Amino acid sequence: MRPSNNLPPRWAERLIERIAAPYLREEILGDLFELFQKRVTRFGHILAQWMYVLDIILLIHPRLWRKNPETARLPHYSTDFSKPNPIDMLSNYMKVAARNLKTNKAYALINIAGLALGMSCAILIFMLVRYHLSFDNFHAGSERIYRIVTEQHRDNISYQRSVPAPLGKAFRNDYTFAEKVARIATFEESLITLRNGNELRKFKDELAYAEADFFEIFNFPLLQGNKATALEAPGTAIITEKIAEKYFAHENPIGKVFWLDNKIAFTVTGILKDLPENSDRKTGIYVSYNSLKALNPWLASDDSWGGIQSVMQCFVRLRPGVTVAQVEKVFPAYVKRYRPTSKNVHHYKLQHLADIHFDSRYDGPMERRNLWILSVIGLFLIATACVNFVNLATAQAFKRSKEVGVRKVLGGLKGQLFWQFLSETFLISTAAIIIALVLTYLVLPAANSFFDIRMSINLLSDRLLLTFVMILGILVTFFAGSYPGLVLARFQPIAALKGKMSQASIGGFNTRRTLIVIQFAISQILIIGMVVIINQMRYANQADLGFDKDAIVMLPLGIDSTNVKMKTLKSEISEIAGVEKISLCFSAPASWEAWNNSIRFDNQSEEVNFPTSIKAGDADYISTFGLELAAGRNIFPTDSVREFLVNETFTRKLNFKTPQDAIGKVIAANGGTMVAPIVGVVKDFHDRSFHEDINAIAFTSFIPNYSVMAIKVNLANIKYTMSAIEKTWTAKYPDQIFESQFLDDSIGRFYETEERMLKLIQVFSFIAIFIGALGLYGLVSFMAAQKTKEIGIRKVLGSSISEVLWIFGKEFSTLILIAFAIAAPVAWWVMNGWLQDFKFQIKIDVWVFILTLASTFLIVLVTVLYKALKAVQMDPVKSLRSE
Amino acid sequence: MKGTQLGEFEEVVLLSIAMLYDDAYSVAVLEALNTRLGRPVSLGVVHRTMQRLEEKKMVKSRFGEASAERGGRRKRLFTITMAGENALRDARRVRNELWDRISETAFGN
Repeated sequence: MRPSNNLPPRWAERLIERIAAPYLREEILGDLFELFQKRVTRFGHILAQWMYVLDIILLIHPRLWRKNPETARLPHYSTDFSKPNPIDMLSNYMKVAARNLKTNKAYALINIAGLALGMSCAILIFMLVRYHLSFDNFHAGSERIYRIVTEQHRDNISYQRSVPAPLGKAFRNDYTFAEKVARIATFEESLITLRNGNELRKFKDELAYAEADFFEIFNFPLLQGNKATALEAPGTAIITEKIAEKYFAHENPIGKVFWLDNKIAFTVTGILKDLPENSDRKTGIYVSYNSLKALNPWLASDDSWGGIQSVMQCFVRLRPGVTVAQVEKVFPAYVKRYRPTSKNVHHYKLQHLADIHFDSRYDGPMERRNLWILSVIGLFLIATACVNFVNLATAQAFKRSKEVGVRKVLGGLKGQLFWQFLSETFLISTAAIIIALVLTYLVLPAANSFFDIRMSINLLSDRLLLTFVMILGILVTFFAGSYPGLVLARFQPIAALKGKMSQASIGGFNTRRTLIVIQFAISQILIIGMVVIINQMRYANQADLGFDKDAIVMLPLGIDSTNVKMKTLKSEISEIAGVEKISLCFSAPASWEAWNNSIRFDNQSEEVNFPTSIKAGDADYISTFGLELAAGRNIFPTDSVREFLVNETFTRKLNFKTPQDAIGKVIAANGGTMVAPIVGVVKDFHDRSFHEDINAIAFTSFIPNYSVMAIKVNLANIKYTMSAIEKTWTAKYPDQIFESQFLDDSIGRFYETEERMLKLIQVFSFIAIFIGALGLYGLVSFMAAQKTKEIGIRKVLGSSISEVLWIFGKEFSTLILIAFAIAAPVAWWVMNGWLQDFKFQIKIDVWVFILTLASTFLIVLVTVLYKALKAVQMDPVKSLRSE
Repeated sequence: MKGTQLGEFEEVVLLSIAMLYDDAYSVAVLEALNTRLGRPVSLGVVHRTMQRLEEKKMVKSRFGEASAERGGRRKRLFTITMAGENALRDARRVRNELWDRISETAFGN
């Protein structure tokens, strides 16, 4: 028998060591060992082992781990065996923590409030990011679903989320790469009418012409009707539950009829389950693609290769194993075959479904970059809150030196003290999390309406969120608690008990300064960002766009097959008091709606290498929008294309030295159907947002293209004017819906994303500043308490109040300046990058930085002044007497 | 009065401690009981009983010498106190008195 076999199982001994109360440990182990030895000789090794384990099991009883009773506490107990039992101490830790929080209410409040604010921001941001990442992730085989998009290579590359209408059909017929191909043409704001006898109900809703395979590719289940056949026949439609409820209330919608533009009738053949929130597809009405030719024969035909309409999208689901490169290789052949005369402008690409939500080049609503920015800001906020905690706790540590001293003298180990502090931090961060969750719950509706989304918080069923919150709590506990914990654990018990601890001997003063600097730097970066965005927005909204955008009402024209009504409407409205000028046109000078064209110039055989935006309007357009002519004259009133006006950019792109030189040259646009000479040159104006360069523009009269009426009104009596306009309009188009919008509002909407971002950053920087200020307040109160005597002595020796105040001022000024030195270049770099998105941008000037610095000083002053003043004004007799 | 009451098992453990006198520790008590009671007694029960007795101040304990047969651990030696002795004597007196009053015929079955 090997000697080791004479020993009882090691794991069992360890187990007893772990669970037995310290004062019993030695005795029990000894007894068990002795019994084991005896049994080995009597029953053999194996049986002895079993009996050993059995003994242990029979030993299990509260008495085994119960605390040392009074009677048993004997002086000769060995210290070797008093291993710490952290679980045992937990109740004590909690008790001490609760008492501590109770005595330092302000400290507890500042900490919990700061952490809770930071955490609720983090939770909200987490939910938001997750919400966006979940977009359209619920379709079967979604990793194989793509949208075919177009890159247009001219003098620069422009991106289109749509393709020529026939491409989808040709691709489906010619190649076997795709399992399913579906074209869908989506029209926002379609006029839908319901007729019931003489009663007429009007709606504006989004409607899409969809091929049946659309619902094979995308997982939008049908509640009623057959997916395969519901959209087969022309004139069929399926609608969502919501739309069914809106149109037909509680009646069975199947078989009901609605009208599009008062001219095409559709019969409901299926009901679609309401589309999920996390899908970019929001359309409520789907009608048969086969009906498209009734609306737009050109778009529906098989040879509309000439241009791209943004309404037309094409989705494919590839067969497993087919690669993107394989498919993209076959596209150039289509361009050669169907667009032989145009240069190699179109490049069709596959865009993965997962990218659609995020690619702003193709109108994705949320860029991944923004999600990153938000996450970083969330991290910043949490970091600020943690820094706060660390600062206050380290400052507070001084007050607890006695407690630490006593604990150490009584045998508390470093590790124990560290864990004690950590469990205290855990208590605080748990409280903060609970408050943060409540806060998030309260703020959620506001956040939802702000982002125009619908998120919900359901902690019990939402495991990911629960995990996140738990991890957040643990991380915050560690980041916030470990440094102060280490500082506390490091105290020398003798110094601590003698009261000889000083701030210097605790150390960490520089750590705390560093942390404050970080906090200030974060706030300052956010402030600078905010100021730059505000400046750029103001510039975009107030800069001279090159045309008049104030007091202009844009009034969409009703649908009218003869183009006669619009002219009479124009003359009727022009007689209304308060209407100053009026013009029929396709769109305002600056608008999302653009009709881009490749033109041929001066009878050349090849198209020019830049797109030209064709703006149609009557002869009053120039005067209504206050455009200025650089050369030539305005066009004469007419309904068809007789003359062109171009802008300066157009002449510059064609290398004319002066605008005058372009006059008289002939333009052929729209595939040669619009041919006319240039009669005038308009001074450049911004035809898009400041994100984009000014396009080449050709302006002409072309009545089939007019879709809005621009009315310059006198704002003095605007209410009367508007109601008169509405009355006149409704009389002309009784079966349609009157809508109008002020031009400056719709131009303001160019910057919707930026406005939203601005508001977010405002909120977050406010929170960051608030958390920072909380921490600062806590710190300065502590500093004031520490410096009571110093201030007293200085005052006795003749310092003035302002001199003493400077003790505080010096400290905080230095910190702010260092922080600023870090924040300014970082913020400049980040914001400069942000501004690159704008083709027309402001310069970040010195004032931004001066403003930021000044506001930081102001914030610090407000936070610190009260406490500092109180400390300074204290009667030195009192402060020096206190011992 | 609490403290003077002895349970049956407490009584035999206390008696064993008294019997073993200078070498009364848990394993010795355990073995003594195992042979005399004729039923297996677990270490845990003995331990707990001895703790209880100590709380009742009927025994006091001290550590003995460490020995190799215990893996270098010391044993805890128990000595009976005055209170313990009194409790034992009380218990014995009560029993004796009861025995004395049993008439012969009571067992005559």
